[in-house]
Amino acid sequence: MVTSNRIPKRIGFYALVIFIVFFAVFPFVQMLSMSLKYQWDWGNPSLIPTQINLEAYKELLNIGQEEKNIPESIRELLDTTPDLTRDQRKAIVDKYKDSGNVFPFLKYFRNSLFLSLTAAFLSVSLSIFGAYSFSRLKYIGRSSIQRGVLFVYMFGGILLLIPLYTMASNLGLLATEAGTFFALLIIYLVQTLPVSLYMLGNFFRTIPFSIEEAAMIEGASRLGTIVRIVIPLSISAIVTVFIYSFMIAWNEYLFAAVFLKGYTDIYTLPLGLRQLYVSKNAIWDRIMAASMLTAMPVIALFMTIQKNLVGGLSAGGVKG
Amino acid sequence: MKKSVFSLLLIVFTLLLPVSIAAGGQQSASDKGDQGVVEFDFWTTQTQSDRLATIQVLIDTYTTLYPNVKINLVPVDENDMVSNVQTASMSGSLPAMIEGSADMHVSFGAEGVVDTAATTALIEKVGKSDFYAGPLKMLESSQGGSYYGVPYHGWIQGIWYRADWFEEAGLEPPVTWENILKAAEHFYKPAENQYGILVGTKAETYAEQCFTPFAMSNNAGLFDKDGNLVFNSPEMKEAVEFYARLAEYNPPGPQTWRARDYYLQGKMAMFFYSTYIMDDLALAEVAQGSLTSENFENLKGASFDPDLVKNTRMAPIVSHKSDAGYGTVVAFSFLNQEDKRVTEAASRFVEYLFTQNAYITWLHMAPGGMNPMLKGIAENARFQNDPNGIFKNYGPEKMAEIIDGLNNIESFGIVEGNVIEAASSITAQQIIPKMIYSITQEGVSVDNAMNEAEMEMKKLLQ
Amino acid sequence: MNNAIKKLDRAQRESALGWGLILPAALIIALLVLYPIVYNIYLSFFDTSLSGRNTFIGLSNYQNVVFDIDFWKAVLTTLIYVVFTTAGTTVFGLIVALVMNQRFPLRGLVRSLLLLPYVAPVISVVYSWKFIFDPVNGIFMDLTVEKMGLFAERFNLIGSPSAAIWVVIVFSIWRNFPFTYLMILSRLQAIDRNLYEAADIDGCGGWAKFRYITLPEVYFVTGSIVLLRIIWNFNKFEDIYLLADNVEVLSVYTYFKAFTGAMEMGQGSSLAVIQFLLLIGFIIYYVKKVLKW
Repeated sequence: MVTSNRIPKRIGFYALVIFIVFFAVFPFVQMLSMSLKYQWDWGNPSLIPTQINLEAYKELLNIGQEEKNIPESIRELLDTTPDLTRDQRKAIVDKYKDSGNVFPFLKYFRNSLFLSLTAAFLSVSLSIFGAYSFSRLKYIGRSSIQRGVLFVYMFGGILLLIPLYTMASNLGLLATEAGTFFALLIIYLVQTLPVSLYMLGNFFRTIPFSIEEAAMIEGASRLGTIVRIVIPLSISAIVTVFIYSFMIAWNEYLFAAVFLKGYTDIYTLPLGLRQLYVSKNAIWDRIMAASMLTAMPVIALFMTIQKNLVGGLSAGGVKG
Repeated sequence: MKKSVFSLLLIVFTLLLPVSIAAGGQQSASDKGDQGVVEFDFWTTQTQSDRLATIQVLIDTYTTLYPNVKINLVPVDENDMVSNVQTASMSGSLPAMIEGSADMHVSFGAEGVVDTAATTALIEKVGKSDFYAGPLKMLESSQGGSYYGVPYHGWIQGIWYRADWFEEAGLEPPVTWENILKAAEHFYKPAENQYGILVGTKAETYAEQCFTPFAMSNNAGLFDKDGNLVFNSPEMKEAVEFYARLAEYNPPGPQTWRARDYYLQGKMAMFFYSTYIMDDLALAEVAQGSLTSENFENLKGASFDPDLVKNTRMAPIVSHKSDAGYGTVVAFSFLNQEDKRVTEAASRFVEYLFTQNAYITWLHMAPGGMNPMLKGIAENARFQNDPNGIFKNYGPEKMAEIIDGLNNIESFGIVEGNVIEAASSITAQQIIPKMIYSITQEGVSVDNAMNEAEMEMKKLLQ
Repeated sequence: MNNAIKKLDRAQRESALGWGLILPAALIIALLVLYPIVYNIYLSFFDTSLSGRNTFIGLSNYQNVVFDIDFWKAVLTTLIYVVFTTAGTTVFGLIVALVMNQRFPLRGLVRSLLLLPYVAPVISVVYSWKFIFDPVNGIFMDLTVEKMGLFAERFNLIGSPSAAIWVVIVFSIWRNFPFTYLMILSRLQAIDRNLYEAADIDGCGGWAKFRYITLPEVYFVTGSIVLLRIIWNFNKFEDIYLLADNVEVLSVYTYFKAFTGAMEMGQGSSLAVIQFLLLIGFIIYYVKKVLKW
């Protein structure tokens, strides 16, 4: 009886696996499909493009855009402005070619990368010491700090948006580009800090204290043991935490949207993508290609740490 | 593992380095502000990247000639402009100049954010009599004689339709209420994924743009000529009811201009759009070029119609009790600045934009969509020889008709020659689009929705 | 005696070091999280004007909020969203965890693929979802109406608020089930095999094994995930606003109040305070009753 039941059961099981994979992956398939379609193909519900169109990717990555011709009206403008020198004319044309029709994907990419890396780096650096403090050292107030961190870890987002915005505005930070960028960086730092503290703290507790004790008997200071023993021993956890923090900052939209509003030069990718969608040129192939390219870095990072992932998650999970 | 961490850190630092240097560079650039360089922000509602690039060329040309000016171009979506200006006014970072629809400027002007003196002075400088009178009137303050914005370009709106489909079905062009409704009904075949018409039903500016000519053609306004609110009238109710009926032949759900894609795919018979579509249609023709003959076979009649561009016509007027056209005048205005030098610099830049060369370059960003506000430019041979060949395509008479249409735009803001500023605030707050949304999407009765809208308007007017 | 002093010294030193190490992080958190929360409460008693002058108006903001029917609609929408997303994510996550706990070919690849929805930025997946449900060109309508004939006519799922909430709920389940499944899976893998063997000997069926061995083992971890999910989904903004901004849960409602139109930041603040209190109340209840801490 058991054996006669097995085959249908097995088929049912595989059907379930296929369904789960399909559910998880389908939106990405749709994204890829649209990013490769020509405009005249958008109305066609099939997932397979009638003809492959790589233009969107080329444009976003600025590949082969040099030959883009300068519109007649711009050429005429420059030619009939007599006071311009040849070099000045060339500089303007070069800049046009550079920005031209392209959604400045690379610029936004750089902004996002810089913000996320800095926030993740600062967050990990601060939390190595902080997490060591509340996982190893005994002092009054430790448990309330720990609970405070857990508390903060659960909130944030929309609840903090209004006061942080008002504070930044009152401090005059929002009046300049650099100030706004700085404000956003600090906010990303504070968004990732609780996660980093919590995860690293849990990890440090799993390192046997006897190893540190041995080092300290040999005369090493506390700080010395952190640098020479704790950090090397937990390097994989630190990398995992770094990547989590990076992801939180990379994916963030809400604060970027409210803070960066007026400063296109420092737009992050999520904001740029939104801008692309809102702009009149609702070009699906570019939106989908930009979506693919925005998702790629975090996906690649996560695939590389997949082995550590489950450990990392159970050591504190991640915001989401 | 260790090695990879090390290299990761290395990457972090090498990446941080150039950016921090760049940030330092930026710092010094803004420091220069004290040494005679005037820097200001320019917010534009042109959010399309190719248009931004062209405006940037104009800025670069100007600042190369006048190196003591620095202009930051910022694109802002038309639906976000009001709240962004409010945010900026709160944080004390109002842009020196903005470009946007006349309604927007008038509502900012009514709030007292606009430097009216600078705006009016510029109009005088360019030459008041050189402007078309209609657009200028739309930007006049209710006291008269002073202006909230300098008209720069404009578009008119109409119903674009498939002339071949109409002909085949023996239908009249969609000009009168009856003919529009009849055609919308006729072509509405949801089972075949084909729709009759596109009118705005999402709570966005587009809905009001589509609705206005219906109200106007039924002689329904928001205000009488003395500025009393007369929104809740039988005429207005008739127009709203008719609009709601038309919306039933829309593609499903709340719709906005984005749905024009369905028209380009041959799934829709009529849609409201501005003359901007002329440029898009020309581009669609170019896009066709990517089709190989072999693919043509599969696509014909399915999702792309190669004859689409040829068979598209425009009906610029809605006619019922009277004729009504709709369009938008896009203008510049200068917002209040603490430093007068900034406004002066912005004003000189706009003056440059009015020079023939710069002006035509700007207008040619979207031939058909951007039409001149100066009579002299409209007749200019270089202007008429646009790069996409739209003038040639549609002929000079059609283009003259469009420009003439601009002179006769009707709006809720001008009643029998009187400027009603409050109408612009109502437009800016999108009260009418919200009403249309609640009727067509949430099933609120016309009476209730109109009462609600009237209450909102009264609240705003207090 | 001497020894005791030394010991005390050491404890003090440790305490000082402990505080020193945590201080930078704690300061930043205090300054940017705790202070803003307090500041937010302060703001909620003021009428904030665009010019930056705030006038004290007592409880007026709260009154305005509580007497607004839209607020209660938002509360209801939030409840529906939280209940269904949490339940859906947990049940689906549990099923996936049970499936992934079995051996089958390509399991490693499948596990990687299942991570995609969780790690990709919301903004980058949202447009794909929008397009899938497009009434005219989307594949969902094409499949259900044309190919399968499930519905009589095409409709706009995301466009109508009553339907959009279900899309938003499915979207949330899609995005968050990987987290739930990974957490449950790591617990499943720690279950002692002997328990199942013993059950086999007793002649227990699959369901009985699940009911009496697996479920009790994952009860606690599932309970914690449910709590986290509820907290996070209660405050969720981006996933909803970006996919369908017509689904007005509390956070979206607050955002519209505070950052669009008349920008009533004061009212927005009082909304945030109310949201915060609702959440705290719920957590205390949940921790006491369900987790029995």
